[in-house]
Amino acid sequence: MQKFSLNRRLVIIIVCVIVSFALMTVSVTLRNKKSTPPLVQQFGNDIVGLVDRVVAIPTNGLSGSVSAVSELLNTYQENQQLKKQVSELAQTKVRDQTLAKENKQLKKEMKLNASLTDYTAVSAAVITRTPSSWQSQVIINKGAAAGVKKNMPVMSGSGLIGRVAEVNKTNSKVELITDNNDSANRFAVQITTKSGKTVNGVLSGYKATTGQITMDNITTKAKLAKGDKVVTSGLGGVTPKGLYVGTVAKATGSDYGLATKLYINPATDLSALNIVTVAVSKQ
Amino acid sequence: MYRLSKLRFGLPVFLFLALFLDGSISQVFSVQMFRYPNAMVSHLVVLWLVCGVLFEADDGTFDLPLGRWAAVAGAVFDLYYTGIFGVAVFIFPLVVYVTRRLASWIRPNFLSGLLIYFIDITVVEGLGYLASRAMRLNSGAGSAFLVNTLGPTLAFNLAMFVILYFPIRWVYNWLK
Repeated sequence: MQKFSLNRRLVIIIVCVIVSFALMTVSVTLRNKKSTPPLVQQFGNDIVGLVDRVVAIPTNGLSGSVSAVSELLNTYQENQQLKKQVSELAQTKVRDQTLAKENKQLKKEMKLNASLTDYTAVSAAVITRTPSSWQSQVIINKGAAAGVKKNMPVMSGSGLIGRVAEVNKTNSKVELITDNNDSANRFAVQITTKSGKTVNGVLSGYKATTGQITMDNITTKAKLAKGDKVVTSGLGGVTPKGLYVGTVAKATGSDYGLATKLYINPATDLSALNIVTVAVSKQ
Repeated sequence: MYRLSKLRFGLPVFLFLALFLDGSISQVFSVQMFRYPNAMVSHLVVLWLVCGVLFEADDGTFDLPLGRWAAVAGAVFDLYYTGIFGVAVFIFPLVVYVTRRLASWIRPNFLSGLLIYFIDITVVEGLGYLASRAMRLNSGAGSAFLVNTLGPTLAFNLAMFVILYFPIRWVYNWLK
């Protein structure tokens, strides 16, 4: 009897492990291949997302008021710094407006409707974060109903933070670039060097110890300097051109010594995210 | 007895509250909890389930359907939080099972509960690590996992156990 029950338990464990692996494989494959999850999962996620807001909104509000108090303390200093920046910004903004207008006219003349730089911004609030150390993922409160699609880039503050990994009707999951998943941080980017040359490449990973984004396999001869700005290049898909990623921190030889490897300081703090912007491209 | 008590509704309500609080805590304290390379992961939902097993044994009259609810919570966790089905849906019921076996050998009280919870969190994080390695979600070495994830996670969750043990016991007694 004892032997029988031991065997039975072993069988149950093995069956559970096999079923678990099968389910995981299927859901990872579905996640990579399909643009939306199965309808049942989507529906379930929408309902859970709605219920979660009952818990998330008060807690997020509470943390907002706490940080408001702590931010009040260094308001004076910040105000002085910002005033200086604002006066510079006004000039840039006016110039930007003129250029945008000129650009629009030129496009009209060329009969170009939408180019790589065109996108509409959809802002969303972060509801919650995945409580897991393997997946740097946040859940935002906008989904397919607001025009969000899979693989669209997501920004916060001034810089790129990740891409949409899964879209439901009213919420979606955003995979941050800090995630070391194979597909999380493959953004096509370009760097314009001080001498005016453009270097193209693809983001390749995240270095957790220094908090820097890495970019590998650059074969250009152009000299990359510290502080050069990295922006998305708009090549190969749904990412619009010209989203700010960060600045070059260091350029070294890659692991095999043939190409250059870059370290990029991200433009935004990737751990404190409350409001994010999804760049919905017009194409 | 279970059918007649408030636990019939209270158990799932608090279970889901704990599940959503895990996400909210991770979001609100993300600067402190996910300071790279270290990661503290909140497992309040496991705490609620483990405490359920510990207090179920307090007086022998209650037999809670914790395994079933653990599977439900695991399914919601997988679909809503991670998007990869088949991890927590098996790990959470396994934790309930492990806790039941341990609680039948050791008389559960505050200190032995702490030890049991230590084992449970190790099981959750260890199996989660193996699953994510198998699915190529992370490429970290085992030693890095022990130092950067398991250590801080254990510290955080054991602290939560110490803080919340008596409040949760009060809640279970109130629901009974």
